[in-house]
Amino acid sequence: MSWSGQELRAFHAVLEGLGKLDYPVETVPLGDDISTAFGPRSPHRPDIVMLPQPGLVPRQLRDLEPIPDDVAQLGRARLWSELLVQGGITYGVPFKTAHKSAVWYRPSVFREVGVEPPRLWSEWLTLNRTLTQAGIRPLSLAAGDGWVLTDFLENVLLGIAPSVYAALATATTPRPSRQPQFAAALRLLGSMWSAPETLAGGVKRSLVQQFPDAIVEVFGHRRAAMVLASDFAEPVVRSFAADPNDIGLFTFPPLSSGAAAPVVVGGDVMVLPKPTTDDARDLVRRLAAPAAADPWIKEGGFLADGRVTGYSPELTRLAEQLATPGGLLQFDLSDRLGRLGDIDRLWRVLTDFLIRIGDRGNGVVADAVDAAMTELRKVEG
Amino acid sequence: MGLQSNGLSLEVVGREVSGRPVPGKPRRPAGPYLLGLPALLLSCLLLVPIGVTVVAAFRTPDGFGFGNFAVMGDPGALRAVGNSLLWVLVAFGLVVVGFLLALLSYRLPAVTSFLQPALVIPFAVSVLVSGATFRLIFDATPERGTVTAVWTQLFGSSPVWLGPGLFWLVLVSAFGWTWLGYVVSLFRAGLDAIPDDVSRTLAAEGVSGWRRLSMLEIPLLRPITGVVTLTLVIAAVRVFDLVLIVVPGPMQRSADVLGLNWWRATTTGADPGRTAALGVVLFAIVAAVGVIGVRGLRRRRWAMPVAVVPPDASVGRPKPSKRVRRIGWIVGFAVSLVWILPAVVLVATALHSPREAGLRGWWSLSGLGFSSFAAAANVGLFRALLSTVLIAGAATAVLLVIAVPTAYLVAWGGLPQWLGRVVTSVFVVLAVTPVQMYAAPLRDAIGAAGLAGSRLALALVHAAAGLPFAVLLLRSAFASAPPALVSEALQGPARQSAVLATVQRTYRPALVAVAVLEFALVWNDFIVGFLISGPGTTPLSLVLWGEARQFSSSSGTVAAAAVVASVVPVVLMLSFWQTVVRGLTVGSRP
Repeated sequence: MSWSGQELRAFHAVLEGLGKLDYPVETVPLGDDISTAFGPRSPHRPDIVMLPQPGLVPRQLRDLEPIPDDVAQLGRARLWSELLVQGGITYGVPFKTAHKSAVWYRPSVFREVGVEPPRLWSEWLTLNRTLTQAGIRPLSLAAGDGWVLTDFLENVLLGIAPSVYAALATATTPRPSRQPQFAAALRLLGSMWSAPETLAGGVKRSLVQQFPDAIVEVFGHRRAAMVLASDFAEPVVRSFAADPNDIGLFTFPPLSSGAAAPVVVGGDVMVLPKPTTDDARDLVRRLAAPAAADPWIKEGGFLADGRVTGYSPELTRLAEQLATPGGLLQFDLSDRLGRLGDIDRLWRVLTDFLIRIGDRGNGVVADAVDAAMTELRKVEG
Repeated sequence: MGLQSNGLSLEVVGREVSGRPVPGKPRRPAGPYLLGLPALLLSCLLLVPIGVTVVAAFRTPDGFGFGNFAVMGDPGALRAVGNSLLWVLVAFGLVVVGFLLALLSYRLPAVTSFLQPALVIPFAVSVLVSGATFRLIFDATPERGTVTAVWTQLFGSSPVWLGPGLFWLVLVSAFGWTWLGYVVSLFRAGLDAIPDDVSRTLAAEGVSGWRRLSMLEIPLLRPITGVVTLTLVIAAVRVFDLVLIVVPGPMQRSADVLGLNWWRATTTGADPGRTAALGVVLFAIVAAVGVIGVRGLRRRRWAMPVAVVPPDASVGRPKPSKRVRRIGWIVGFAVSLVWILPAVVLVATALHSPREAGLRGWWSLSGLGFSSFAAAANVGLFRALLSTVLIAGAATAVLLVIAVPTAYLVAWGGLPQWLGRVVTSVFVVLAVTPVQMYAAPLRDAIGAAGLAGSRLALALVHAAAGLPFAVLLLRSAFASAPPALVSEALQGPARQSAVLATVQRTYRPALVAVAVLEFALVWNDFIVGFLISGPGTTPLSLVLWGEARQFSSSSGTVAAAAVVASVVPVVLMLSFWQTVVRGLTVGSRP
């Protein structure tokens, strides 16, 4: 698994909740090196991998065993099936779902300047200006974690061009630099990030900030109003909030009126590396049981696929949005781009983009977008 | 008719001896060679994978050649080479600073009493721990980061210390903090070994200041300078985990060093030939440094006369004046305070609750308690502790059992001179070989043998990696007290006590040094465990690394885990430091 800290402790609680097992279970936290869990060359060859990038499943088929039939239908759920079912065989079972289009904010700040959570992208930009004029930094950005930047971009891209998003996600050799909508999404993103005094602490501080730091900036030190963070940020928000009642959440607004709100989905799926054992299959069955995740749900920051009850009010809203039929749902794009989504490719391009535009105003955005597209072409190879 | 005596066979001939004399060869019994067999087998754990890597580096789809080395034209790899060379400069700088500090503590003796423990603690903790500590100190928020808080108080705002460019300062501070104690202690031991009559003669002739330095201390300390520089340069070229833990994600690219570049290339599934080529380049740089260093060392006498009679204290160095002593006291106290601060920061952070440690700095008075330790225990810290005890203990035991006979063989086993040289050179090269040279083939082999996750396999790899250094160190210690001396002592009671004192003085410190250093090294290891271990082993450093992923929000847990991980090596080093230093310098005194 890739979990550590609070998430790892919560998962240990889940394992304990399974009762006595006939075999010992050991957790191996692999962090960001989760991809090393596959293949015969791997020193880390666990029996079950909790893969945090479901988009990797189609690329790892030859190292995976099919999921046992009795739980396989869970992998055929809406949205998941396009990644987990390949050639009619199910290769993964969702354990945890992530809603990556959530913005956590402090309602007290919004009340102070008399604004409401934005219902449109343009409203969001106006809201930021209002906050800036009142001397409040609107946004805390965790640029130290690359996936926060890609999540931001993915939301915008999904909001303006769902078909381009879907095409890139399923292409064998994705070429985002050839998509004008990709540049358009960067321009929109640039209009928000480049506005002077938008980012808490400025660009340099943002670069050293990981996602929990960004949350602490908003809720702990109260130096910013909001932060884009997933549902799984909930325990961090609650444990560091200076005022436990001053926590609000809105979902990523639609990019234009009439358009649907983008919902970028992620999650951790259980997969069985080859060769598997009966014990491993048994554990997958037990973890896939509806009640298995209850201890984690109680701690917060956990969404189970298809379930809409038992959460905090904020997470219930996210779960309902995920369950609403007809929503604009798509899986995380970065792990479906193959090597392009790697740490030193798309992430790097976005980091450089942020450095070029941060705090410099809208005037520099056009050039920065061109530079980013050129860089992108280069890393596409 | 013949007779045998003392290994010679004499024959009485009844006629005149004619013909020219034919030079004979001394008979070399094969028995002692068996002493080296276990070491040879253990070294194969490294030698074979190194061979595999070298072959892979030179094998291209169309035969053998330098095709794979085109990888060095990649701007990323070039930057990594540049950064690695920068680290070598840092190492040289540290040697100079350490020498000056040692000189200061020599001239102002009172400094030592404070400075010594303050300098040993950083050397005892792992790189991962010191990196984590410095990341805490330089945190970008004024609420958490010590330096940022002070700077903001003084100047109103503070630079982002971990940001672009400035992260080098944090890296170098952490590296210096770790190594300076070692440098100072070794130089200090060398200075203490300068015979008093020499320094008194020079003083009587009115030689002082720079002239004294260039006439007395610098030439006499040359051998130790060689050892120190060699260790530091190798440590600098091998920098790996420090960068991983200190530098925030977006800046990792500009902080890239060769070892890291290799690792990124292997994890992103780059062509194995090209990654092998990267490993070979890294190896070539380290080996070049090693060979140059050893050439410098060869000029010294390995064996040295050992003073059996302790020097008479009354005719020792003249006591400095009261004023000088007071200055020494103050300087020593101040330097130690600064030097011990990171350790204080770490412990104080660990004593805050995870929430408080994530919000505020170590000086905050709220949220004190042991809940961070409880949180660390919850992520498997104690299991990892047990795992580490087993691995480090097994590695040290295996190492001692194999290194002692081998060192004896190399020192006194009567190896032909050329073979002795070859063995020594091979060990020198192995001692400096970076893990990247053997990690990939070795972990494949361990996996194929079904030993992935076996603690014993990991302990054996550690023992193999520690063997070259241990043999070299023990050899020079053994060489300084010949076995003839020992056997003579056992026969006649007259010199027995004196000789046993010699053995006690030379063999024991070296053995202690090898055992303590190996245990601490394996205990603190990150890179071998990280690159080779599998599930089931999870040593301490890997747990620490996992926790540090979201650094500042888990700083309480990270600090608690770091404190727990550091207790054993710190206690070990503090208790045996004097002996370790004696063991390290035993063969290299003037």
